[in-house]
Amino acid sequence: MTAALFERGLAFLGALLVGGTALVQLKNDWGSHGLDAAVTKVLLGLMAFGCVLALLAAINVLGGGS
Amino acid sequence: MAIAGLADHDAVAARYKSVDPVYEQTRDMRLLGFVFFLLSDVVLFSMFIFAYLYLRSSVPNWPPITASGHRLPRFDTAFAAWNSIVLFGSGVTMHFAMENWKHLNREKFNFWLVSTIGLGIAFLLGQAYEYHNAAISWAGSTMGASFFTLTGMHGFHVFLGVLYLVVLLVQANRGVYTPSKYFGLTAGTLYWHFVDVIWVALFYLFYLM
Amino acid sequence: MATDALHSAHDHIHPAPEGFISKYVFSIDHKVIAIQYFMTGFLFFGIAGLLAELVRIQLLVPKGLIMSSSVYNGVYTLHGSAMVWMVIIPLVTGAFGNFVMPLQIGARDVAFPWLNMVSFWIFPVAGAILFYSALIGAPDAGWTEYPPISLQGPPGTTMWCVAIFLIGISSTMTGLNFMVTIIKMRAPGMTWTRMPLFTWATYATALMNMVATVALSAALAALFMERVFGVPFYDPAHGGSPVLWQHMFWFYSHPAVYIMILPAFGIVSEVLPTFSRKPIFGYKMIAFSSMAIALLGFAVWAHHMFTSGMAPWLQLPFMIITMVIAVPTGVKIFSWTATLWGGRIHFSAAMLFATAFIATFTFGGLTGFFLASVPADLHEHGTYFVVGHFHYVLFGGSVMGIMAGLYYWWPKATGRLMSEKLGKLHFWMTFIGMNGTFLPMHWLGLQGMPRRYATYETFAHAYPGAQLWNDVATYSSFIMALGLPLVIFNMIWSLKHGKRAGANPWGARTLEWMIASPPPYYNFKHIPQVLGLPYDFSEPLPYRNLDHKTDPYPAPSPATLSPGPLTVGAGV
Repeated sequence: MTAALFERGLAFLGALLVGGTALVQLKNDWGSHGLDAAVTKVLLGLMAFGCVLALLAAINVLGGGS
Repeated sequence: MAIAGLADHDAVAARYKSVDPVYEQTRDMRLLGFVFFLLSDVVLFSMFIFAYLYLRSSVPNWPPITASGHRLPRFDTAFAAWNSIVLFGSGVTMHFAMENWKHLNREKFNFWLVSTIGLGIAFLLGQAYEYHNAAISWAGSTMGASFFTLTGMHGFHVFLGVLYLVVLLVQANRGVYTPSKYFGLTAGTLYWHFVDVIWVALFYLFYLM
Repeated sequence: MATDALHSAHDHIHPAPEGFISKYVFSIDHKVIAIQYFMTGFLFFGIAGLLAELVRIQLLVPKGLIMSSSVYNGVYTLHGSAMVWMVIIPLVTGAFGNFVMPLQIGARDVAFPWLNMVSFWIFPVAGAILFYSALIGAPDAGWTEYPPISLQGPPGTTMWCVAIFLIGISSTMTGLNFMVTIIKMRAPGMTWTRMPLFTWATYATALMNMVATVALSAALAALFMERVFGVPFYDPAHGGSPVLWQHMFWFYSHPAVYIMILPAFGIVSEVLPTFSRKPIFGYKMIAFSSMAIALLGFAVWAHHMFTSGMAPWLQLPFMIITMVIAVPTGVKIFSWTATLWGGRIHFSAAMLFATAFIATFTFGGLTGFFLASVPADLHEHGTYFVVGHFHYVLFGGSVMGIMAGLYYWWPKATGRLMSEKLGKLHFWMTFIGMNGTFLPMHWLGLQGMPRRYATYETFAHAYPGAQLWNDVATYSSFIMALGLPLVIFNMIWSLKHGKRAGANPWGARTLEWMIASPPPYYNFKHIPQVLGLPYDFSEPLPYRNLDHKTDPYPAPSPATLSPGPLTVGAGV
């Protein structure tokens, strides 16, 4: 098992875990009010999107390279 | 881990909302000021991202071909994907830390904050590893110029963030923050999420595009 | 929020600062900081003005009178860089914005007073670094420092990067500070559409300051990295692009010119109604046009780049948006003119500057419209036409606005009236001098005289009037330049011998005139309540809870209306 495959596997599983948790947190906090809550919601959403990108990278759908 | 339900969160927040109007107004102003600061930081990164995209689109090949004729290598996407998860994970742990603070779970707060710091350091170590093994140099090409400048700026922001989180950990345990007055923690969380999201952009732009 | 209409959460007054250092050196009081900005800015104005005079003296003869090209290049580079970053921007934001805006919104200070102090102290340090660069080989590619020349330039160019980067941090912090202050600290009852127009102008300026300056920091950091570490961004030999610098630089520097002019617009919008005894015409239009200019100002930067070799398809959209920006500006000019119409006008020194501003700024704006047109710009770019244009809007605009503001608010800040006679003399010297200096530059430019050249022998062969008009410009500039020591004398003289001003010498209606001159350190003992717009001269003052008993229809004090030998001639 090469290092790259190991990294990809970890990235795949991690993306599911972290991204999933981020989305659950986002859903829970959806109704909160205030500027800090709004900024947090936006950033959590973008972070979840980042996990999607990492997942797609892990399974080679996006991005080239090793 | 205490994941609050929707009604719970607002009820808890309401219970501990400060009854001190001077504090509330001051906190409002500091929050707005901090969000504006993050906005200006976004502009800073955006300008360098613009420079990267401009330089990239002004040559027919990317990675560019050097003067000696050989093509520069692409980046290691697998490692970066993993390192990205490390950083995103630290964002989630930070969120848990804040939730536990608001629910007065001091021990869980400490646990999640320390995890965040640890993951942040792990990310930085990952970046150091990547820099050490990089096949391109900062001054050798526009690819190196944009990559190392942007990821370096980002890494510096992460480093400062880690320092700030350590300060917050110490302050929180010294009793500087209370369940109703904890603006420093809020600012730290927003900053940490912001640093995360900048990385989303950089990860896409350098490794996936 | 648990505050009611009459009590702001900031009703508490902090104890007074004690000791010389806390009161006058490391003060967090916005008024003291404003005066510090003012003094430092005027000092740099003098130095940068001297550099300008060196330029003018050099151009008295076609082969250049006193300097080699390399020295000349350093002189105009430092002149331009200092005027933009160490004079105009700090004066309009740091001096006037800091002093007047918190008073106008009924606040006791800005949102982050300590940050304000730090913002100030960066300023003299940055200025010193900028001027120090002259000693190690001054930057020499103009205030715009285009690569590749700026990559090869003398060592001072690197210091230039550092100096401007530092002042940029100061500007960004000030912009953020003012934004939060205006959003969160207005007195109860002061809705957005009851805010004075100088505050609106400061708000729009702060927005640009906060967002655009960081773009310059990025450009400067990249230039620094390339010069010092060889990191390729701009050098075409290493895959970089000089046009990239121009994009990054102008993305900031175009909003920067609006940063320089909007507060001057605000000053004029305050001075004109007070000395016409008439409400400002089109309050909402002026307020919203400031915001429109601030936003549109981010979309026009490439009109500085029509000849740069950038993609040709970009020229048309930038040309059109640049022309569109003339609309909100024109709205203001019409509104000011309509404010004057039918008013009971008193030509104080401040009013002279404000009224002349309308003429000289509009003239500069019109030549700007000519530059906006791509075919015309291809001919005019890099000539004295551009130099004439921007000096009309910067001198005839920003500087005249600053002078109007100076004469207007000096009594508030010091409690003394400046000599109106000397003020009017200052005005006429400035007005005649500036027109004589900058008007000929337009036809010199159209005839082809290039800018930033130490000599113009080739041009003089082609155009017989070359030396004549350069000399007219130079001698006029001496008249203009003598105005500066005159106004400085006036300021210092008034501190000892000026008549006592009282709270409201001009009979104005915005909140800063409702408290003593100079204001106490806490500004307002009780935060006033605001019931309406300040400009309605036929209504009683729209405030409740003022600290002192005030005439509901304030009139100018007799001390300001007493005629003198120069008044009658100047006012007609």
